[in-house]
Amino acid sequence: MKTPTARIAPLHLSRTLHSSFHANLRVPRASVVSKWLRSRNLTTAPALAQEAVPLRKHLKDEAKRKKAEAKINGVAKKLKTDPRLEKWELAVGIEIHAELNTECKLFSSGPTEGSDGVANSRVAFFDAALPGTQPQFQVATLLPALRAAIALGCEVQRKSGWDRKHYFHWDQPNGYQITQYYEPFAKNGTLTLSASDGVPTSDLNGADSIGIGIKQIQMEQDTAKTTHHPPSTYHIDLNRAGHPLIEVITLPHIHSPQTAAAVVRKIQAILRSVDACVTGMELGGLRADVNVSIRERGTEGTGSSYSGVSGLGQRTEIKNLSSFKAVEDAIVAERDRQIAVLEAEGVIEGETRGWTLGATETTRLRGKEGEVDYRYMPDADLPPLVVGSDLVDHLRVTMPELPDETVDRVERQYGVTLKDAKTMVDLDDGDRLEFLEETVELVLRRSGDQATDQLRVGKLVGNWILHELGGLLATTETSWATMTITPVEVADVLVNLQNKQITARVAKQLLSTLNDTSTSPRPSVDHLIDEGNLRLRPLSDEGYEVLAMQIMDESPDMVAAVREKGQKGKIMWFVGQMVRRGEEGTVEPENAREVLERLLSD
Amino acid sequence: MLSARSCWRNASKTPYRHARYIVAAEGRHDSLDAIISFPDTQSGEGAEEEQHGQATISSGLAGKSIAVKDNIVTKDLPTTAASRILAGYASPFDATVVKLLRQHGAAISSKTNLDEFGMGSHSQNTNAGPVLSPYSRNGLPLSPGGSSGGSAVAVATEQCWAALGTDTGGSVRLPAAYSGVVGFKPSYGLLSRWGVIQYANSLDTVGVLAQSVEDARQVFRSLDVFDAEDPTSLPVSVRQRMRLQNSGSGQLRIGVPKEYNIQELSSSVRSAYARTLNALLAAGHTLHQISLPSTRRALSAYYVLAPAEASSNLAKYDGIRYGYRTSGPDALPKDNLPLYAQTRGEGFGEEVKRRILLGAYTLSSEAIDNYFIQAQKVRRLVQQDFDRVFAQSNPLLHADTSNSLNAEGVDIILTPTAPTLPPTVEEVKRQSPVESYMNDVFTVPASLAGLPAISVSVPLSGQEREGLDEHDVNSVGMQVIGQFGDDESVLAAAKVVEDLYY
Repeated sequence: MKTPTARIAPLHLSRTLHSSFHANLRVPRASVVSKWLRSRNLTTAPALAQEAVPLRKHLKDEAKRKKAEAKINGVAKKLKTDPRLEKWELAVGIEIHAELNTECKLFSSGPTEGSDGVANSRVAFFDAALPGTQPQFQVATLLPALRAAIALGCEVQRKSGWDRKHYFHWDQPNGYQITQYYEPFAKNGTLTLSASDGVPTSDLNGADSIGIGIKQIQMEQDTAKTTHHPPSTYHIDLNRAGHPLIEVITLPHIHSPQTAAAVVRKIQAILRSVDACVTGMELGGLRADVNVSIRERGTEGTGSSYSGVSGLGQRTEIKNLSSFKAVEDAIVAERDRQIAVLEAEGVIEGETRGWTLGATETTRLRGKEGEVDYRYMPDADLPPLVVGSDLVDHLRVTMPELPDETVDRVERQYGVTLKDAKTMVDLDDGDRLEFLEETVELVLRRSGDQATDQLRVGKLVGNWILHELGGLLATTETSWATMTITPVEVADVLVNLQNKQITARVAKQLLSTLNDTSTSPRPSVDHLIDEGNLRLRPLSDEGYEVLAMQIMDESPDMVAAVREKGQKGKIMWFVGQMVRRGEEGTVEPENAREVLERLLSD
Repeated sequence: MLSARSCWRNASKTPYRHARYIVAAEGRHDSLDAIISFPDTQSGEGAEEEQHGQATISSGLAGKSIAVKDNIVTKDLPTTAASRILAGYASPFDATVVKLLRQHGAAISSKTNLDEFGMGSHSQNTNAGPVLSPYSRNGLPLSPGGSSGGSAVAVATEQCWAALGTDTGGSVRLPAAYSGVVGFKPSYGLLSRWGVIQYANSLDTVGVLAQSVEDARQVFRSLDVFDAEDPTSLPVSVRQRMRLQNSGSGQLRIGVPKEYNIQELSSSVRSAYARTLNALLAAGHTLHQISLPSTRRALSAYYVLAPAEASSNLAKYDGIRYGYRTSGPDALPKDNLPLYAQTRGEGFGEEVKRRILLGAYTLSSEAIDNYFIQAQKVRRLVQQDFDRVFAQSNPLLHADTSNSLNAEGVDIILTPTAPTLPPTVEEVKRQSPVESYMNDVFTVPASLAGLPAISVSVPLSGQEREGLDEHDVNSVGMQVIGQFGDDESVLAAAKVVEDLYY
């Protein structure tokens, strides 16, 4: 290690360092929320160029997650018969740390973004704890925190305060973290979860949903980032030091590992939907600590209690879990360890434990005697935080829709299934939903009677955007972010389809053509239809009959299968043959089927 | 240094009372270790011109040389807080008060010595060598008082026209009293602390040391502005409100607290105090006995609160980003110790370590209720004591103070600044830490309540000086305390006391 005896604070520590970010990347279209915010001059962050997750990957991940969920639910059902779980009941409380979406740090004008990841480039004097510097609360950081509190159903406190939590670590320049220990800014919230969020039926106890109590939400500073360069060098990057975080603390109302993961997933979705946090767990924007205890069913455990929840067993804390899977697996492992200890007549000790992905056991980090005494004290430099009820009311009234509300609305308004509505809302940060809404409006505007058609059109458009367009993107490995097809083009295609100007087959082909054709300029959909001679030129009844007879003659076996064995399903094979054999844009499947059914029943 | 001194000579039309002795002392130990660092003298007159050229505000401070306590950061001079842990530290920015001095055309003449991080009452706990008073007793140097001892001695020995100090529990007033100058601690929140190295940040206050009340007032007024960089800076609206309520001069109702008549009060201080009270009475002011019952407990509360805050404020000194670092490898993380146990052990002096340990203990989960929380309650009682006796109500508690005058109340309180004349540095060495904390018994209450307070020197009479040799002090400090925000009245009253004798 280098050992200079006197060093000088670098002069380039800038208090107002801004630079444009990712100027060359395609920035995804702003979400509804950020548009809403900008319209009120309330934006607290520059439009962020998020790492775009390709649709295909997203779909894959979703499928994987569902599969895993199904598997776990299956396992849980199996485990229910495990006598150990009949005897022991799990109780889990979670602390979630999430990075707030803000332009500057919590107590300095140091920017939270920019300089393309150059280490120690976003550091104000206070962030480096230079002698004589003081914290200056940045009011703008309060807005995303308040939105989070409101979205999680918390009571925003009129007055809250700032406390120092002391511990020595080089990632904490001041030697303490400023947090809200004695008086947090939000308390007493509830998170509602249902089966569709991933709560196993055993936790629901026959109800539609369960409520998980949220004890409090507090604002606090993030730490610096350390990178280890073996064997003995550590690099410290203060860019993250002082970044605002919120810590959401739930009550120990969670009784299964799957529900715990669902809680973290749902809180992340809610924080995103209200633009409080934009970076998810996969990118390190969210971290969770879990408190795990078990008790014998029907007993009061060790009589421990936490914030009004009593009759708990001795709990242990597992720190720093950074994925949903880690949350779930760590709880399973810790629950099983505690059961094993208690069944061997051992005693659970209050201790802090760690977990690494892929491990089968949690490992002891430190026991009670090794606990740090944080020596909490109010920060005398910071006046109390006073939040007026008018501000809270304003934010509440103008709050964007929460994911559950959006799903509900999409289901009702566009007549799609609950499953499709949920997928639509989850995909592409709401971009997919916005695409749907624009397209539906365009189609309706072109086809007149709105009120009665909305459900039908919504269903049609939803189906095409989710399944046809989604499938196309998946097979061509195109990401949603780089896709060039516009709502206007999809609307053009679907209006033509609706008006029986083209067949569904042609409509699919058109989407594929659009996807393959570079923009600037791209011929209009109508032009493509005319150019390709794709417009539906309906066959006469005779034409249908001639074509049908021709195919029937060529395939006596199939005819026999339908006529003699009554295999009605084979009719669709004939329909397919007719569509394929007929000239492009001449055979409508419904008509073909009608003709075939008549002929084959003869 | 020479230019600074000539600067003062040109500026001051009324060389002050102790000047003659000082000049004699100069040959012996020059600056008396009052100064830690000077500007680069190589640049000479040119640099001085340049400094004056920065003035953007026309002011009486133009061309005056002002020394700055070395716990206030400056861009052009190192800032060490007299601690090894900050050896060679150069701040990338000027403290707001330093910036203001420069804007008023003052020249920052030097950085003055202090008790490390402000922790001490005699300016002996310093990595830069103990500060010596210009006075001595039987050949032994006296304590200059602390922690702003360097600033007080620099002013007393004309090494500058005025100096900035910091006052946490008396650190401007006590050295002013021991060194025979004026030391003013304004209301908490009036002068910006941005760039002032924290010791106990709920108490730390920038103060002014000067030869006369008038000079101190001039410096104070130049610095008395809101500063957005300091979250505890009083907002403009509160300042305006306070300005309206200032109770002007004229006939003063002077409070004499009975709890300050303590056993430890030395006879000469007691006599000078009584003489001053009589002189004020004779000049037409009225005296009123008052009671401040929490006075005794105030000292204990202070020595719980200040170390608690210190243990927190000094946690940042780890030798990682700046400052001193031990030469060998420091503790390894596998030993479960941070990377700087050794560095902090070597970098801090004994008194600083004592207070960090004390503070860490009183904040610990087992002790906080009995110490830190109790001390905060005492602090509130001390403030209530003062609010009860002053005619003015506390502007922080009552937005409208126009018709809430307490007719029975007093305008100001007069007390001695310290219970005794300065001890010799040898006596200081023999004192236990707790005995030396006793020195602050009269100054700490005003600090806990955030009140404006000033120490002004009163000459000792022949009788009071009996038994003292010619090199010993010839004055004693009297302290004027006023209601929060009533700084101008405190300064006016101090002028009244000063005018009794000079």
